[in-house]
Amino acid sequence: MILLDIKNMTIELETPEGLIRAVDKVNLTIREGEIRGLVGESGSGKSLIAKAIVGVLNKRWHITADRFSWAGQDLLRLSYEEQRKIIGRDIAMIYQEPSRSMDPTAPILDQLLEAIPDSELESRWWGRPFERRKKAIALLHKVGIRDHQAILNSYPYQLPEGVCQKIMIAMAIAKKPKLLIADEPTTALESTTQAQLFRLLASFNQLKGMSILLISHELETVARNTQTLSVLYCGQLVEAGETAAILKSPFHPYTDALIKSVPEFQPQLASKQPLYALHGSIPTLQHLPIGCRLGPRCPNARKECVKTPVLERLQNHYFSCHFPLQGKKT
Amino acid sequence: MTAPLLEIRQLYKSYQKAQGIFGRKTIQALSDISFSLYPGQTLAIVGETGSGKSTLAKLLVGIETPDSGEILLEGEAVTISDHKKYNHVIRYIFQDPARSLNPHQRVGQMLEDVLRYSTDLNEQQRQQKIHQTLAQLGLMEEHAAYYPHMFSGGQLQRVALARALIMDPKLLILDEALTALDPSLRAQIVNLLLELQKTTGLSYLLITNHLRLVRHISDSMLVLHQGKALDYGPTNHVFAHPQHDYSRKLINSAQS
Repeated sequence: MILLDIKNMTIELETPEGLIRAVDKVNLTIREGEIRGLVGESGSGKSLIAKAIVGVLNKRWHITADRFSWAGQDLLRLSYEEQRKIIGRDIAMIYQEPSRSMDPTAPILDQLLEAIPDSELESRWWGRPFERRKKAIALLHKVGIRDHQAILNSYPYQLPEGVCQKIMIAMAIAKKPKLLIADEPTTALESTTQAQLFRLLASFNQLKGMSILLISHELETVARNTQTLSVLYCGQLVEAGETAAILKSPFHPYTDALIKSVPEFQPQLASKQPLYALHGSIPTLQHLPIGCRLGPRCPNARKECVKTPVLERLQNHYFSCHFPLQGKKT
Repeated sequence: MTAPLLEIRQLYKSYQKAQGIFGRKTIQALSDISFSLYPGQTLAIVGETGSGKSTLAKLLVGIETPDSGEILLEGEAVTISDHKKYNHVIRYIFQDPARSLNPHQRVGQMLEDVLRYSTDLNEQQRQQKIHQTLAQLGLMEEHAAYYPHMFSGGQLQRVALARALIMDPKLLILDEALTALDPSLRAQIVNLLLELQKTTGLSYLLITNHLRLVRHISDSMLVLHQGKALDYGPTNHVFAHPQHDYSRKLINSAQS
């Protein structure tokens, strides 16, 4: 079953100079039990998309979409309160830099208790405080924290970043969401803790059937932990499809450059040899090129590229490029 | 083989931390660290936070003094009093270029300050040197008149490199300088560093926990854990035969 279905979502920012289109017609679908990766460099709008899904963007951002449905229900037609109710029940999000997104003035126990919704509790009101506490401890055990006593009474600043991230996950899974959005969950962590965390997320995906949207700028970590992948560049969706298929034969020159710039995917490349790199740098939001936004940096850009390419489909592989790398079938 | 550029022998460093009113607690930040770095080579120092990586870097640039042990630069012992002499030889690149450059100063001015305080060049020679360095890093002469905020992320890292390279150093310390960059920019900077190493014979000391990059660009590596050196040797050898449990865990986590 398709959980989240977004078609042509556009996110625009209100500025004194007019609207700036930060995210341009992006499609995203997430099935039940799927782990989808969302890869893009800084400024590609990946965090914006995540925030738009959970509805935490402020009023300066205008979100429009042709279709924005959650489990078959069109969210755009519902009133704000109803949207909040559905999203609050089914979608949870882990933010980047966990120690900064937790409440610095409250001990972990209080924050965990707050994250457990009433609907998860079974006992009558007099039994609830006790049950909540028991649930909070059980949540910590679930994310792999054994010594709960020391953790419960500490404040976020007293704990290492990896533990904070695990607590964030514990809070996110407290309401048993159907979709977990993980926004750069591992950037602040050591490589050993990173591996632990991905194992944890994978186990929740397999045991509970929870879908995960994994957002990151590191292609190699995303590729290792996801089944499907969407690649963004400057707010445009450049390629989407199954991870293995994309890695094997990318259609878009940007995806190709991303794959080639990672030494791990180039086993035949001897060490100390130059890596493949696109020239130039990522344009800022104020100076976006027209048409295909990769245009000025693309090695095979031609005259046609000033028009925005439409998203094309080849079986389960979507790409938007006028001149795809694997010969176009006409 | 040629003589090592930098040789570290049995370096120890500890910090004193107050505990209670009179009590003192000693934290051993580094113990018995030895390694050597040859010209034109790259040494990667890998370890988690709190393993003593940054302490080691601070000792090398002379911000801190070691408790005991020797730092030999081209066979000569380095003492803290003449770090002015050897700041030509060792240059340091910080993690975040956007925060390590002065936002009030034009790039040209910043580079000129470096030359004015540390060399005897006259006005004209300084300008020439600045242009030469900018060109070497793929920047234009006009960029000297820019302020740091006018550059993009990748260019800023080039400016930071220019500030380091303008003294014609022999050793660059890159403290997580590549971690924060986006993949396509990182590939550009890695290429630039590799090319510089090939043409000028620079040595790099790469402090990072990004193991996949280490494997690609370093010749030898040192695994630090709680102030102790665990594995030290050529990169391929360490990756293939890690001796300690911790290094094995670290390497597996990068490959799994």
